Amino acid sequence: MKLFAACYCRLQQHRGWLVLTLLLLLSFAGWYLPQMKVEESISAMLPDGESQVANDFQLLQRAPFARKLVIHLSAEAGVDSDLLIAASDSLRLALPAELFINPLSGPGKLAAGPLFRQVGDYLPQLADAKDLQTVAERLSPAKIDVFVAEALAQLLQPQGVALKGEIRRDPLQLDALALQKLRYLNPIPGVRLERGHFISQDGRSSLILADTPVPITDAAGSKTLLDAFSAARRQLPDGISAELVSGHPYTLANATVIKADMQRVLLASGIGILLLFFLFLRSFRALAVYLLPLFSMLVAVLVTAVWFGSLSGITLGFGAVLLGITIDFGLHVYFALRNGSGARTREQLLQAVSRPVLFGGLTTLAAFAVLLRSELPGQRQLAIFAMAGIVAALLLALLFLPHFVGDRDDLKAPSRQLLQRYVYDRTPGLRISVLLLWLMVSGVAAWQAQKLTVNGELRQLSYLPTELQQAEQRLGDSWGNMRGRALVFASATKLEDALQLNELVWMRLVEQGLQDDAVSLAPIFPSQQTQRQRLQNWEDFWQQRRAATYDLLRASGQKVGFSATAFDPFWERLDRPQSLINQQLLESWGLGRMLDNLLLADGQGFQVMTLIPDRSELISVLERDLETIPGVTLVSQSRFGRQLSGEIGADFSRFISSAGIAVLVLLLILFRRLPEVLLALLPVLTGLLVMFGGMGWLGLEMNLFNVVASTLIIGLGVDYGIFMVCHGQQEEDLASSRAVMISGLTTLVGFGALVLAKHPALHSIGLTVLLGISAAVPTAVLVIPAFRLKRRW
Amino acid sequence: MSLLKRFFLTSLVPLLLIVSPCLAEPTDISPLLAELKLAASETATLSSSFVQEKHLSIFSEKLLSQGRFIYQKPDWLRWELLTPAASGFVLLGEKGERWNGLSREKERFSIETDPIMGTIAQQLLAWARVDIDWLQQRYRMELQTSEPVSLRLYPLDPGEASFIDYLQILFADDRRHVAEVLMVEKEGDSTLLRFSNVEINIELSPDAFETPVF
Repeated sequence: MKLFAACYCRLQQHRGWLVLTLLLLLSFAGWYLPQMKVEESISAMLPDGESQVANDFQLLQRAPFARKLVIHLSAEAGVDSDLLIAASDSLRLALPAELFINPLSGPGKLAAGPLFRQVGDYLPQLADAKDLQTVAERLSPAKIDVFVAEALAQLLQPQGVALKGEIRRDPLQLDALALQKLRYLNPIPGVRLERGHFISQDGRSSLILADTPVPITDAAGSKTLLDAFSAARRQLPDGISAELVSGHPYTLANATVIKADMQRVLLASGIGILLLFFLFLRSFRALAVYLLPLFSMLVAVLVTAVWFGSLSGITLGFGAVLLGITIDFGLHVYFALRNGSGARTREQLLQAVSRPVLFGGLTTLAAFAVLLRSELPGQRQLAIFAMAGIVAALLLALLFLPHFVGDRDDLKAPSRQLLQRYVYDRTPGLRISVLLLWLMVSGVAAWQAQKLTVNGELRQLSYLPTELQQAEQRLGDSWGNMRGRALVFASATKLEDALQLNELVWMRLVEQGLQDDAVSLAPIFPSQQTQRQRLQNWEDFWQQRRAATYDLLRASGQKVGFSATAFDPFWERLDRPQSLINQQLLESWGLGRMLDNLLLADGQGFQVMTLIPDRSELISVLERDLETIPGVTLVSQSRFGRQLSGEIGADFSRFISSAGIAVLVLLLILFRRLPEVLLALLPVLTGLLVMFGGMGWLGLEMNLFNVVASTLIIGLGVDYGIFMVCHGQQEEDLASSRAVMISGLTTLVGFGALVLAKHPALHSIGLTVLLGISAAVPTAVLVIPAFRLKRRW
Repeated sequence: MSLLKRFFLTSLVPLLLIVSPCLAEPTDISPLLAELKLAASETATLSSSFVQEKHLSIFSEKLLSQGRFIYQKPDWLRWELLTPAASGFVLLGEKGERWNGLSREKERFSIETDPIMGTIAQQLLAWARVDIDWLQQRYRMELQTSEPVSLRLYPLDPGEASFIDYLQILFADDRRHVAEVLMVEKEGDSTLLRFSNVEINIELSPDAFETPVF
């Protein structure tokens, strides 16, 4: 560590260059930062890469309603449904087209379109074995008599005039079998149609669905969107209200609450840091220590922005918090040079303090380097950000800071020094008490830590305002759970293959008796191969039964007066050549939007989507069943949450073990003796244990942000241990206890203040830091010396 | 040529001479329609029996059926066939329920989602209310006889005109209600309804608009 002392000597004559370098850094940052691109998307904290979680996350974004804006209109009791429908139309027209693309308040007058007239003609292509069985059952003499009598009854009714052609064409009501296939296309469970509008079963709610170009993670765009919605909503009549249910209100609410939190937290931590400054430092020279994290952050921002091209807002905010760790290095150098003793020269003190500072920095660097392997792009970016900041902080603390902290303070009275150093030798009972208390706290924490669970539910990381949750609840009450469906993707490079896979999925759902809860294209859009096969089956079916059925139908008709040729259109229909159902036909039936939702195409191929209820017991059964079909993927929010929990748990275990090994290796290199290594690890282990135990006791769950915040505990905890163990080993007194205490207090005030935040992510960071550092500092300052017998402290 | 000329002079010219006054000066039926409208305006309820006679090409014989028809202002209806097969429907505003005595099934409907029932309901209501304004919007009217009043209605809507040739409505002597409706389809099929035992503005029984219990 003579290098830093030598550098100090050499640079002593060129302090102006050091100031110039810092000014140049400031100027460059001042020029670069305003043009830097900061991404506001939260996607940085979501998995990417090729992991199953990452793939599932990408697939979940394709759910029909995940991409839609859902506007839920509600009418108060006593308000006429006509008014509700008129209000839906007027609101739909008032929504700005550039933000609300293709707003839809219903499927329109499907009944008047070609769908209901034509779909029956395609029964031969749609009829599966069960349908053929149903048709066969209708061909018994008794059943035919019933159908013919019903036909007669219908013809006698006034509507018989319009139904006459249909009755002649379809006396056995076979069209109904084809029409039944359409019910599997309804993605809104509690919907009925009234004058072409989506109306809830109780008639008190209507829906408008729209697309938007505003990404769900864009806070500024969300505000524009919600403002436009509020403006359009103002023209609704009394008694009718409208709510926009999508991710955008959550994004905006989160951005707003984070802004308010930061103001509150910065005020609290600013006051706290000022108090610490006046209580313990009381020198304008100490300002240099506080400037160190600022300069480190500037370097980190510049390096990360150049490395990645842009910088995530989350990395910036979170990284700024994490780089608070760098004040640690500055404080140790400051206190060593200002309050240190036991060495004759400033160079010797710097040489002595540079060893723990460098190793402290390297261990923190190692802890952050582990995050480079994370599944989350934001965490990887954060790792680069933190590592760049730490390297800069080390260089600034060891090369720059010594020149700006001023001369050594007058030494305190030896008696006071001795009192501090030999306190445990003088009072052995205190040593025992501290160790017992530490053991007790650690024991309780270890016991409570067993209750800690991991939660991968992404929503838990967001601020979820009650009014938005209630709006979502009201939507679910009126329309059923349309936004929380699990998705089954059948993927293939060719549409035909994807449709065949989709049929296999449908067959499995039917086997499980789940078809009534599913939304699928399979019943109405089978693959070409299946359609051809069914046509063949249909022909074979009638070849065997045609003659007998003809006689039965004729005889039955004649019994009630039908002429011999009454049902000729039925036989002509059976003889008509059939074309296959394709996308164009479905679009001509007005099902284009449904196709857009359930049939996805990109440059890679096609994906046919099936929606099923997201019930965990159902998902676990289907998961096993569907994984046997290559090309089929099941994704669900609930399973995604479980998987993400697993990933976070595994990520954290990997992180802890890798960081642990890296830290252990560095500590072994530094101390070369196991007892010292174990002692140096005490603060970090106690900090983590208390953090886990505290969270378990409070009933809190481990989330993504706790994982990242743990790096702060590990980095600082190891630093405290290194400083205190080095302090015990070295001749020089580097005022390490004081530096550790001030560092801990600064961290608690600066980042523990985040516990005041309303936002769950910020709050959880604050709590993690509060619990961990509150345990790590006393362990470093009181417990490490208590373990060392007959040594001076 | 001479054959054509003779035909023109002997047949078509006299025919044109007879028809042309009618084309030149069509009978103005507005006063009559106003009179019918006024006579029916006081109708709050109407109850009657009816006989339906259908001549359909798909049947070898004409179909005779009997039933009853009940109307209550403004838009409640009961149309019920009693023989040969019990069936019918009630309509309360825009929603209704139909039944089939044969299959013992009932089914709710809405005139919004069931356009055929919507058209039927509008027709029946127009006859019951003698809704001249609605009929004038939908049909071109020709007076057939004035004592009793008989009007022939030709559909203006192309969809309806594609299968209905015309309707012929015969009013009761007191002109307060419709006595007969004849509907002739393009293909030649026809339906004749004869209303009898017509009672106007009587108090209807409470279950008049309830569906039968199966």
